[in-house]
This record gives sequence, structure tokens and C-alpha cells, in this order.
Amino acid sequence: MIRAWLRSWLFLPAAIGMAGLLWWAYRALPQVGDSRSLYGDYIATNAVGERHATDTVNAVTYDYRGIDTLGEEFILFASVIGVLLLFRRQPGHPADTSEAHEDEQIEETIPPTDTIRVTMQGMVAVMVVFGMYIASHGQLTPGGGFQGGVILATAALVVYLGGRVDTFKRAVSHPLTEIAEALGAGGYALIGASAFIVGAAFLTNWLPLGQTGQLISSGTILLISLAVGLEVTGGFALLMHAYLEEVIKQEGGE
Amino acid sequence: MGHFMYGVAAWVFLWGLYGIVSSRNLVHQCVSLAILQTSTYVLLLGIGYRTGGTAPVFADIPVGTLVVDPIVQSLMLTDVVVEVTVLALLIAMVVKANELAGTVDPEELRVLTG
Amino acid sequence: MIRALVPLPVVVPMIAAALVSAIRPFVPRWTAAALFTLGAAFNVWCTAMLFAATTHAPLVYWFGNWWPRGILAVGECFVIAPLPALVALLVSTLTLFASIQSWQLKPAASHLEPLMLLFMAAMCGFVYAGDLFNLFVWFELMSASAFALCGLKTAEPAPLQGAFNFGLTNSVGAFFIITGLALVYARTGALNMAQIGATLTAKADSLVLVSFLLMTVGYMVKGAIVPFHLWLADAHAVAPTPVCVLFSGVMVELGIYAVARLYWAMFEGSLATYGDGLRAIYVSLGTVTAIVGGLMCFAEHHLKRLLAYSTICHAGLMLIAVGLFDSAALGGFLLYVVGHGLVKGGLFASAGIVLHRLQFVGEPKLHGRGRGLVWTPVLFMAGAAGLAAVPGFLLETGESMMIRAATPFHFGWIRWIFFFGSVSTGAAILRFSFRTFFGWGAPSPADAASRVDEKQETVEEGRKVPACMFVPAALMIGLAAMLTFIPSLSEVADSAGHRFADRPAYIATVMHGAALEMSQFQALPSQGGGTIRSTLAGAAAVLLALATVWRRQSHLSGVLEHLECGVPVLRHWQSGHAGDYVLWLTVGTTVIGGCFVLLLH
Repeated sequence: MIRAWLRSWLFLPAAIGMAGLLWWAYRALPQVGDSRSLYGDYIATNAVGERHATDTVNAVTYDYRGIDTLGEEFILFASVIGVLLLFRRQPGHPADTSEAHEDEQIEETIPPTDTIRVTMQGMVAVMVVFGMYIASHGQLTPGGGFQGGVILATAALVVYLGGRVDTFKRAVSHPLTEIAEALGAGGYALIGASAFIVGAAFLTNWLPLGQTGQLISSGTILLISLAVGLEVTGGFALLMHAYLEEVIKQEGGE
Repeated sequence: MGHFMYGVAAWVFLWGLYGIVSSRNLVHQCVSLAILQTSTYVLLLGIGYRTGGTAPVFADIPVGTLVVDPIVQSLMLTDVVVEVTVLALLIAMVVKANELAGTVDPEELRVLTG
Repeated sequence: MIRALVPLPVVVPMIAAALVSAIRPFVPRWTAAALFTLGAAFNVWCTAMLFAATTHAPLVYWFGNWWPRGILAVGECFVIAPLPALVALLVSTLTLFASIQSWQLKPAASHLEPLMLLFMAAMCGFVYAGDLFNLFVWFELMSASAFALCGLKTAEPAPLQGAFNFGLTNSVGAFFIITGLALVYARTGALNMAQIGATLTAKADSLVLVSFLLMTVGYMVKGAIVPFHLWLADAHAVAPTPVCVLFSGVMVELGIYAVARLYWAMFEGSLATYGDGLRAIYVSLGTVTAIVGGLMCFAEHHLKRLLAYSTICHAGLMLIAVGLFDSAALGGFLLYVVGHGLVKGGLFASAGIVLHRLQFVGEPKLHGRGRGLVWTPVLFMAGAAGLAAVPGFLLETGESMMIRAATPFHFGWIRWIFFFGSVSTGAAILRFSFRTFFGWGAPSPADAASRVDEKQETVEEGRKVPACMFVPAALMIGLAAMLTFIPSLSEVADSAGHRFADRPAYIATVMHGAALEMSQFQALPSQGGGTIRSTLAGAAAVLLALATVWRRQSHLSGVLEHLECGVPVLRHWQSGHAGDYVLWLTVGTTVIGGCFVLLLH
């Protein structure tokens, strides 16, 4: 193994070389603001008319390039499974304290003040509504399933921060969360497959497109956005639960 | 603005690499990886920018207004999710390594060598 | 109607993975394993049908019914051409065999099955992708599932180190790919491979060159090319055996495949003028990889690391074929990938049998313990023969085609690199077999790596070898031999290779829907010299193995001892520290970039 200082010194010429290569390449790029893209121009001009979606970025994400987003969603799915796999209880692990004892420990170590408790519990309602708004309005304004899902998952975290650890645990470790996540992921693929019913290719937007600017518009874009929101909420909630449990286990076990 | 944004992207890229290479802490290595990723965002967004363009959302502007490139933004969205998830997995490995070996220093953690 | 099947090899396993994950807490474990095996079997059938359908013209499938608008590709497509279709069939077949082997694994709360299904779906999507960013997304799904699968055994620090190194280095490689992709998009304003290929016709300038450099470096990290190879041995040493079957069998090869895909679909028009320089660079990279891989393979005494290094060696040989940037070499490349995947998969499956039955994977501890086994030694020795590209195995056919393609470019000397690779990897496995199953010679020298023990991964360890472990291993190695006897195999592979490299035809088919018939190519007469050389390689491997095992009695004991202990520099290079690995990644990129600047400008 290379000593730490030697590693840094060896990195210096390599970094200079990389910097040179990048400069050599970036020099040939058009100035910032001047690049033109046939693809981008087409989408900017035609997406609203073709898909009745005013947010062209989400039209691209969930429709034109929907298969990319499907893959990305399953990357999240795979990573959540990976984290759950890493943190699973191994047979023969040192004896775990009981659930009740753990709750006691947490209540003791993080007693929230009244201000925090009230603020957090008040925020939860706002965040849930806001998250659902963002997730369902993806086709109209910036937002969409991913962003809305993260807000909803953070709402769950805020429950925890507000001191209601038992509520958080009961909500998240319920098998329903895992099912919700799987439903979101599988649901996206099934919505895509539903296009086979009308004889179209996978992920075709075959539902009625509605009127531009209305909430129920752009066909499958809305449905896919909701499915993604469901999956991201479930996935991130599971992640947070897994991490918090692991930290509790490590601190409790010592 | 010229090529300044691309210079920033290259600068961040190199610092992210340096962070990974010189790190004495696995969590720091993961965070440096995240920094490396942000350089690609800056590059992508710089490529997509149009002078005088606004956000590609036509909820309140007429179709045909000059907007920045929406494709690049969609690519970046995908990138962000991919990065976050891989980072979550790597940090979970670090947490677990800390539990089993009691350290997050990569130099002390080397069980596997040639 | 065959067109409807195109997205299924990717979509069906994904739905199956979500399903398994949803019903996991409610059903017994065998349901998950059964769904996994059924999913893999469905994929084998589906990819086989798709391969059969491409004999006349490639299939192009546009997602979302987004047909191209003139010269602009608005949506994304899958393009099923013969070469990618056969690779997808290989992926599905290996996953099916791995799924049968996984029945014997200790239960991991049914998390293994969804991850493996997603892994298979991602690899199929990777070969079928017709869009540059889509290729990257499937690459990331493949990587994420692989990282997660590496963490299956989490009760010890060694698996975590291997998984972390794997995750970190491959993620840095992925960011290189994105940077290169952004540069291509900036130049062409397109993400569809055919459209990019049609746009990049001018002679490559610095932007295009650096873009090609960054993207190939990123994919070569996955392809375990020196100096980006350091993560592979760590990851293989700690992943469960069915997972290793797929890692070495296909995942690494897909990195090399991506280099070919990038060049032939997109960059050929602008890089063709730099042909000689590029050839020199990539063939040298492949050569160095093959030599380092071969030397370290022989010097390893941990069975899985030994096999991992042999994968590095063969990946180097495959890069030599791809690095010739000539359509005639692709047919041999295809056969080599298929043959190597099957043989390597079979060998890893056999390694799983060794771990199950003998409870160790380090050569020193295993000395003589395998004396009771009858058929497992046969598998190992057949696998060694396969890797040594002995005539009768698919690798030999592929190898001779690749060497033949290299001769017009004055690269005929690569036949000696192939010889070296065959001998060193074959001899290493034979040496292992002679020591373990026959107990010949003295116990092997122990090194730091071989002392790392692996915990039992299967249920009922130590008992008789179960059929579900033995049969897949035997089938894989057997297939690598039996496929050689398919008539006109070389012609099929050759025409698949030429079709893969035909950029104008590809652009016409994808963007304009033209169905161009490709004429069948005449196979070049096989060179007798090739068969003789391969047989010699096999014999040399046997001799080297025997000499090493009984080196005390031979005159060359000093030389052989050095050979077996390996080159110290190479060994210390493999330090286990992720920061080191990324340092070498950067150094390697800079050196290759320097070569690009010097040779190509």
C-alpha cells in the first residue's frame, strides 16, 4: 500500500494531466449559452402540443424517455434492497435488546423540547399535503414523482424528529411500506405494459391526454408520476428506518 | 460567461478525485464521490444553457419562448437519483464496517490484499 | 408478432423482482427461488426467439411509439442485432444456471432473487440499448444490483471491503462516462446512437477524442482492464458463488462489449482516420492486461481470486480483439465471449462445489482434502482445458478467428499473448486441481490473500454434492465444448460481427426503417497452425502445472517458486485501499490521454 503522503504526491501529476485533458476538450465546446441541440429544440417546441403537458422536463422524463426513468426507478429499488440486506439481523448476532427497551433508550437520549415537538408535528401535515401536491402536479409545474416522494418520506422523518418514535416505527416497519414500494416500482412497469392492450409499444402514452393546464391531463404521465412518488416514499422511508435501527442497535449494543 | 462554467466543472471534478484519493475516512470518501458527481451536473447544465432563456415550463409563458434545454435537465434528474441511491448503499457499507471493525479508516480496514 | 417480444427480456424480470419483493414476507422461501428460476427460464426462451429472428434483418423497437422524425430520434429504441442478441442469450442462460445453483444458498430473507432478476434485466437492456443514455442507465442498474449482491455476506469485514472498493471505483468510472456523454451531446445534440453516428462524420477533434477516451475508460473500469482492474479480485473474493458466475461470466465482458459498441455505432466515422494510433493504444492496453492477469492468476492461491485474475487476463485478450477496430475480429470476439462466459461460469460453479463440500477456498488448506471427489476434478480439468483454448472448446475457435483478423495489421505477434494467457490460466487451475483433488506435491505457499477464509454460504455444507450445484456447472462447461460442433458456426459469428460493424446500414435501419439484407460472408479457411498452437498451449499448461506441483524434485525449482509467488510489485499494487485504486484510475486515464494527444494529433 502506498503511504498517504506519497499517494497525494503521485496524484498531483495525474491531476495536472487530467486538468490538461479536460481543458483541451472543454476548449472546443461552444461558449456557455451558445450551444444548440436539435433534440432540445424539438422538445421545447412540440412537447406541449404532443403531450398536453406544460412541464416539458417531466414530459421528457416520463414519456419521451420513459424507459430511462423506469431503469432509474429500479436502481433506487435495488439500492434499497441492498441496504436492507446489509442491515439485516444475522442469525447468531449478539443478543438484541427488546423493542420496548430500545424505545426507552431513544426516549431517554433524545428528549425533544416542547417547541421542537409542536413545530415538527405541525410541519408533518403541511409536508404531507405539499408532497402530494408536488407529486401530482408534475406534468404542469416543476416537480413530479421523485421530488414529491422525497418530501413525503421526509415528512415521516419529521415525525421521528418530533419525538414520536413509536409512530414512526410502526408506520415504517409495517410490511405495507415494502409493499407500497414494490407496488410503485412494479406499477410503473405495468403501466408501461398496459400499452400492449391497445397494441402499442411499451410505455406508449395511450390514455386520453385531456386539456393542457388541467390537473388530470397528459395521460400516463400523471399515473407514472404517482407510481414513482409511491415508490420513492416507500423506498426512502425504508432506508431511513434501516439506518436509524442500525444506529440504535450499534449504540444500544455497546 | 465564456467557458467559466466548464472550468468550474473541471475544478470540482479534480477536487472530488483528490478527496477520494487522499482520504483517511470512508465517509469522507463517499462524500468526495458526491462532489465528483456534482461536477457532471454543472457540465450538463452548462451545456444546456441558452443565453436569455428561461425555465422550460410553459404553464405561464407561451409556447415558442426561448427556453433552456429540457433534455439536459431530465438527464440530470436521472443522474441525481442514481447518485443518491449508490451513495446510500456505500454509506450503509461504511456503517456496517464500522460496526464490525470499529474503524472507518481505509488503511486500517485492509483485510483483502494481493 | 416477434416484435412484441423485444422489451420483454427486460420488463418481465423487473416486474418479477417487484413481485418477489412485495410477497416476500408472506410466502415460503422456495416461492422466491421458483419465481427467479422461472423468470430466468422465460428470458432464455425470449432471447433465443429474438436471436433467431435477427438472421435476416435487425429488429428496431421504439419505446412509446416515438418513431424518429426525419433525422431526429425523439424517443429511445432497442436494436436487436445478431451479436447483441447472442450476448443477451448468454446472459440469460448463465443466470438460469446461477439460479439453479442458488437453491442451495443460505436464505437471505429472499433479497437475493429480486437483485439477481434486476441484474439480468439490466444486462439484457445494456446489450439491446440503442440510445447512449439508456446504455448508461442499464449500466448503472447492473452496477447497483452488483454492489448490493456483493454485500450479501455481511458478517465479516472482508466482504464489506470488497463491496466498498467495487462500489467506489465503478462509480468513479460511471462519472467518467457521464462526462464523456455530456461532451458528445454538446457536439451532436443527440443521444440516439444512430443519430450520433450520422452526425459525427468530420475528423475527430479534441472534444470527440476526449469524449471517446472518457467513455471507454469508464466502461473499461467495468471491463477490468489494467490499471482499472484492481477492484475485481476483491469483489470476486467476497461475493457468493452464483453471483460470481455472472460477474466473471458476463458482467466484465459487457464492459469490453461497450467499447466495441461505442466505436462501431458512433465514433467510427470520425475516428477511422486515426485507426493505426487507436489500434496501437487499445491493443497495448489489452496486452498489458493479459500479461498482468496471467502472472497474477498463476500467483494466486485463493481459488476465487485465481479465477478473478484469469477473468482479467481473458478480458485483456478480448480487448485486443476489439482494439483492432476491424470488423473481421468481431466474429472471433463474439465466440470468445460466449465460450469464456460458459467456461468461467462453470468454473465458478465448481468453486462453489469446493466451498460447499470441502469448506475452504485457499489452496494451502485444501491440499489433498478433495481426494474423495470424482466428478468435480473432471469439471475443473475440463474448465482448465477450455480456458487454455484447447481445440474442441469454443474459445479456440474464437481465438483463431481473432488472430487471423490481426494479421493484416502486423499484429500477428498477439498469438503469443494468447498463448501466454492460455498457458498461465490453464496451468493455474490445473495446479489447483492436482494439489486439491490428488494431493500431489507439497502444500502450496500461503499468501495473505489465501488466508482469508470464506464462511459457508450453502445449507448442509460438507455433505454430498447436490445435483442442483453439479448439474449447472457440468452443463456450462459441456456447452462450451458442444457448441463448437455446430456447423458453420464461424460463418454465423463472422457475419454477425460484420453486421455489428456496418455503421451506414445500422443508421439506415434505425433511422429510416430500411431492412437491408446482409450477404453471408465466406469463412476464411482455417489455419492449421492455429490448431497446433492451441494443442501445444494445452500441453504446456499441463506441463507447467505438473512442474510447479512437483517443483521440489525438478531443477527449475527456484524459477517456479518465483513464478508461483508472483511479481511483488504486482502483488503490492493490489493493496485493498480504495484511494489507491482511484489514484491508478486517474493515472491510467492521464497516460492513455497522453497517448491520444501524442499519437493522434
